[in-house]
Formats: sequence, structure tokens, C-alpha cells
Amino acid sequence: MSRRSWVLSIAILSALLCYPADWYPNSWRLAVAQWLGPDGYRSLPLAAVDSPDAAATDTEEAEPPCPPDPARWREAKQIDGVMIRRSLNCVPDNPFAVAAFVRGTNNVSQQTLLKSGLAPDAVVKGRDLDGDGDPDEIHIRLEVVELNGGSPEAQVPVTQFAIAPGITPGFWVFAPKTTGMATENFESNNARAILRVPSPVIRIEQGDRVQITLENAHYLPHTIHFHGVDHPFLDANGEGNDGVPITSEKPVLPGRARTYEMQPRQTGTMFYHCHVQAHVHVMMGLQGMFIVEANRPDNWLQTLNIGAGHVRVPSVASRESFDREYDLHYMDIDLELNQLIQQHNDPRVINEWLHQRYNVTQATADLFVLNGRSFPYTFRESLVITRPDERIKLRIANGGMNPIALHTHGHKVTITHYDGVEAQPAARVTRDVVWIATAQRLDLELETTNDGLHSYGSGVWLLHDHQGRGITNDGIGPGGNVSAIVYEEYLGEDGWPKMFGMKWNRFFDERYYLGALSVFEDERFAPAQNDGWRLLQLAGLFVALGVIAGTALSMLRQRLLKANR
Amino acid sequence: MRYAKDTATIGPAGAGRSKANGHRCDGGRLLISLQVLAVLICGSAFAAAPIASEPAINAAQTHQHHAGHRIQFDASGMVMNSNSSELPRGCSAISRDHEFEVSAGTEFATRYPGSTYAMSQHEYTVEPCSRVTVTFINTDEVRHQWMVHGLPRYLYPQGMFHLEAAGGARQTGTFIVPSDNRTYLVHCDIPQHMEKGMKGQLIVGSGSGDLWAVPGISRAFNSDDYLATYSFLVLALAVAVGMLSTLWLLWR
Repeated sequence: MSRRSWVLSIAILSALLCYPADWYPNSWRLAVAQWLGPDGYRSLPLAAVDSPDAAATDTEEAEPPCPPDPARWREAKQIDGVMIRRSLNCVPDNPFAVAAFVRGTNNVSQQTLLKSGLAPDAVVKGRDLDGDGDPDEIHIRLEVVELNGGSPEAQVPVTQFAIAPGITPGFWVFAPKTTGMATENFESNNARAILRVPSPVIRIEQGDRVQITLENAHYLPHTIHFHGVDHPFLDANGEGNDGVPITSEKPVLPGRARTYEMQPRQTGTMFYHCHVQAHVHVMMGLQGMFIVEANRPDNWLQTLNIGAGHVRVPSVASRESFDREYDLHYMDIDLELNQLIQQHNDPRVINEWLHQRYNVTQATADLFVLNGRSFPYTFRESLVITRPDERIKLRIANGGMNPIALHTHGHKVTITHYDGVEAQPAARVTRDVVWIATAQRLDLELETTNDGLHSYGSGVWLLHDHQGRGITNDGIGPGGNVSAIVYEEYLGEDGWPKMFGMKWNRFFDERYYLGALSVFEDERFAPAQNDGWRLLQLAGLFVALGVIAGTALSMLRQRLLKANR
Repeated sequence: MRYAKDTATIGPAGAGRSKANGHRCDGGRLLISLQVLAVLICGSAFAAAPIASEPAINAAQTHQHHAGHRIQFDASGMVMNSNSSELPRGCSAISRDHEFEVSAGTEFATRYPGSTYAMSQHEYTVEPCSRVTVTFINTDEVRHQWMVHGLPRYLYPQGMFHLEAAGGARQTGTFIVPSDNRTYLVHCDIPQHMEKGMKGQLIVGSGSGDLWAVPGISRAFNSDDYLATYSFLVLALAVAVGMLSTLWLLWR
């Protein structure tokens, strides 16, 4: 026998030996089993002992659910004459920034301004035009800020804002004009608390003379369109004031600024967003809630609510009818879009990818955020906290590309306003699933009277989009916009709810949302070990197949050589 | 393949379950309707006496005859087609008495990775014509069954003997096996309980061979591969190694 024949025979024999028995046709296997009986028992692989699951349950690698509050920002405070309500949520707004937004950055002490991190002209409050004790000239300055952006050198997104453990999609937001560093400190890559998603909620009084200056500190052109807010098409100088670059004005180029003017005559929960390439820029995060409050005497408003959520200084009209007020801003994110600014650094390339290559008609939402965060971070700062027998005002905006079916566990809420317009009392509906279209705003009244209708009593009751995707982080649940209505008796001192369900450590472990951890703590569902013997057997088969193929090639070559001769 | 049809577990052809065959469908429906009936009748008893606090006793209180089955059932479960005296054809006397005490529940599944439910014993070997008494103890909080298929129909309607224990309950029943050497399927018929481990075999005499996928006895006919995600790279490399080394050897 020639060398080739030997090689071929050994290869075919090895292939047959290594061929897994369970790969033969079932009829053959059954026929053989008729003689020999079934294959003997062999234990299936055990649970992987060194799996991430074991680590998750044993070593507590996860971050703490509720970070400490060393600066005591959660407590009720009086700062520069402003009474700031206690923030019950674990992570509160900076009370010094709240004070500066109420008094105006031009009316607070230097110390308060420094602690707020705001620029002296971030929110300037002027004269009391109607003589009712509060300022009616408001000048807000907003910058465009990129979070989780790209970098020509760093291997991670820069100026980071994690919406959930390990999840950092790129964002553009309108942010109040600040001074100093964008990160927490020189060593940190984390954005300061004031620079975050969503863009801040703007609150002004009906009849205020409002100026909003867009200082475009970004590398692409932007504008602001005030959606639903009463504003003239042209300003006093005859310049475009609608924020729409194809009809009213040219976009504001990088490094330039424009001031929009308005004196809204109607109240309500409205919206504002960039209108440059709106299908992309709005989804990138250039969107916020805009609330026009009813005119009342001594109505010192918290002009901006950073990160939306609990309103620590509610308006006079709100205090007349409600015990508490929460702004809830929902968004969804297509990672394919929001990662583009991390993958490229040249603004020309980013422009091309975002505006010419990215196709929003093929977009699918992957992440679902409430006030800029996804579960479990929503539980740190966007819980709706209440006591029994209270009336709560919820202002809801849906800035996502998909509608939301917002469900309140344990409660039925009443829709009082659609898109800022009050519904006639007879037309109001009370329900537990509220459908909110894209860009729509609803004002909800949450009554916590335990009557079996408005409330079923105290507890930790979830509040979430009932569409399956909305309660996941890129398909891994629980995630998304899941938050809760929490009664104070179920709230710990640190603002973390007292709960009776499963342990949360894996939700605070980055690996969970990468799909690397079992969703159950029970060891029975830990992943199985890989079968190394099976792989070895298959590798043997594949080597033999390679040998057979190699023999065939060499035979072919010899044939060709012979033919050429 | 009479064996496969009757004991129903030799592989995908019988789909593991004889109920797939037409003549067995009635039996399946009957069983389901009986279960529904039992739940309806026993519902109030369950509500009044929680299982955990008051384990039920043997289901001997209620005697029923339904579609030829001899049934005893109450809130603690059911004994179907118990037979301690009638001899199968070919048996002149009871050869001997066997007694088994079998526990069933999730706790026994830890012995068999990849299973959820299991029993303390999965194989029972008895003499032909012997009388078998099984005490079936359910350690879970959900129903479990110890069911034998393929017995002679003239003694056992639908060819089955069946113990069903409610959560925390125990049942005892007796039946007499025929004279021929055969392996019978023992299983829990609650959906997916057999597939996830509650499968056993009753070997009469020398039996007629093992069944597939009995925990501790035989392997599954269909099994997962448990290959690591990087395996395809290893296999691609294996082909390349085989090919290149052969070419190097034979290329001349």
C-alpha cells in the first residue's frame, strides 16, 4: 500500500471512531438499540463552579444599590431663603443648584453658586413685571453637552453617564450653563451630577418674559424648537424663533449662540427639542420637558429640574392642589445610533454616519429610560414616593420613538391633561394602563386613598411600560423604565425601599446585563459546564476530515501533473 | 415494534409517549377529565386543610368506578386499578410479594444534573407473577404520580396502574405483574415531569431491555452538546491542522 492509502485509511477509521454516536440517523440508532439497549447513563455536566454566577452570589462584586449621601443633599434645607423639600429618593438633586434655580443664579450667594456648579448667568431672574412678588423676566442659558462620547485616545466612553450598571450609550443633552470641570474630579471619567440625561425640565410662569439662549458648545449644528409652548414664529428683531432650520432660521453652528424669546399665554406640560436633523438629534437626547405654571403671587419657581423626577420646590398652584409633584420623562434608545459617536471621532465622519448612513426607518429601540436611567438605577432617583391619602401630580412626557403603555401596579390614575390642555372633568378617565404617544405629554393625578380603586393600600408598587421590551435593558430583564410607587412606611432611612423579593446584587453587577449571569439565584439554574470530552472527540473528527481533504487535494494535484505530462 | 408502542419510550419514533398513538388518546383524555373531576371535588377540601399543615392520608375513603377503572381518590390523591388478588393469565399463584417505598420530589433531582424532578428509586426488579405494593411519598408541594403502563388490559383498564399523591401526601397501592419477562415504563405523567427526570422502569423477570433516559440507568436519546461558544474555532483549527499536515506529508 502506498503512503497515501495508509494515511487515508487511518483518517477514515479515525473519523468513524470519532463520529459522535448520536449523530447517526435516528432509525439506525433505534435499530442498534433494539439489540444493545439504550446507551448507559452518563451524568450530564454539573453546574459550572467557576461561573460568574457563583461569583455573583459569593463575592458581592456588585456596587451598592444605594450609594451614601455624605454631603447630606437629601435633607430638607433652607438655602438663601429658599425652602427645599426633603428628597426621599436615595440619590437627590443638588439642593444648592435647586436654590440657584429658584432665586436665579444672579441672586444667590457666591458660596451657593460655587456649590451649585452653575455659571453666574445660567438662570438670570429679572424684574417683577406684574408686581405679584416673583420675577417675571427669566433668562436661561443652555449648552449642548455630549455624554459617553468618543475619544481619539481613551478606550472607554468619556464624560461617562451610566444609565444602568455598565451601560453607557452616547448622548447629547441640553445642560444648564456651568463652570469648571465636566467630570466629578480630575481623576474621574464620570460626568458631574448636573451633566446628565435627560435635558433639564424647564419651569416658567404663565406670562413670564422668557429668553432662552442656546450656546452651542458641541461639534455639530443645533437649534431649539419649543414644542407646544406659546412662542412667536419670529422674534422682536424679525429673526427666526421656531427653531426649525428648514423654515425659520439657520442652525446654530458650533461655537455660536442664539437667543429664543417667548411670553407663553397658556399653561401646561410641554416639550422642547433640537430640530436639526430631528430624527437623529431628538433621539440622541436633545429633548426636555417644558412646563408653564399658572400665574400666582410669590410664585418662585424652580426654573430647572435637573434629571427631572421629584420637584423639590413645587409651584404655588401645585401646592394648592397636590402634596407632591414628579416629572417623569421617558425615552428609548437605539444603540446602533447612540454608539456611532463613540466609534468615530472626526466630526465629518460622525456627520456622515449619523445623517447619511444611519437609517432611522430601520431603527429598533434597545434601551428604555425614565429620567435618563434604566432599572435598577431608576430605583435610586425616580421612585414616586408617597404616603396614604395624598394627591400626587405626575407630569409625563414620552420622548421616545415608540409609544408607552404605562402601568401603575396597585393604583388607578386619572388623566387630567393631554399635551398640556386640561380635559373637561366629565371627559377624564381613570385607568391603570396609560397609552402615551411619541412626544405626547399627560398630566396624571395619583390619589393614594386606599379605596380599592385609586389605591390598594401601602406597598412597593411597580410603575412601568407594560410592553415587554420596555422593561428590559437590551433584552435583559428586569430593566428599562421600571420604577415604583413607594409608600414611606416601605422606605428605608437611606431612601432604598424595603422589599421582600429576590436579592438585587446581580442587577447591580455589569455582567448581568451582558447576559453572563443566570436570572435566578437558585443554583439549579446556574449554567452547565462545557463538555470538554465532546469537543475533543469532535476535534479528532475534524482533524481526520482535514486529513481526508488534504489527501484528496494531493491526489488531484498528482492527476493534474500526470495529465500535463 | 410492539415493545416500543407499548412501553413507549425507545426513542423519537414513539415520541416517548404512547398517548401519541390513536388508541391511547382516549386514555389520555380520560385521565385528564378524571384529574379535572378530582380537582373539582377536592377543591374545597384543599382549601379547608392546607397540605403543609395537615398531610393527607391514603386515598381510601372514596371508591369510584369510571370507564372501567377502579379508582379511589380524595384530596390526598388517587389510587387507580389496585389489584391484590386477581391473577394475570399464565400465573397459577402469586410468586412472591414485593414492597417498595418510593419518595418523589425535587430534592432527589440533585443526584442527576440537568434534571428537575426525580424519585428515590428509578428501577424496580420483580419476579414474574409477583404482587407489588408501592408506597409513594411526595416530598414536594405539587402533585406527583407513579404510573405503570402496558399491563394486561383484561385486569388493568387502559393497561395502567396509577398512584397519584398530592403535595406532602403518600399513597399505597398493589398490583400483580404478568408472567412474561418485560420492562415496563414507570413515570409521572404531569407534563414535563418524566422528561425532566421522573422516569423509571419496572423489570419483570429478566426484563426486555432498558428504556432510554432513565436517570442513573441510561442516557438521553436527544441530548444537548454542552460545547463552549468558542468550539467552532477549535474545530476550524482542527480541520486546518489535518489538511495542512497531510499536504505537507503527501505533496511531492
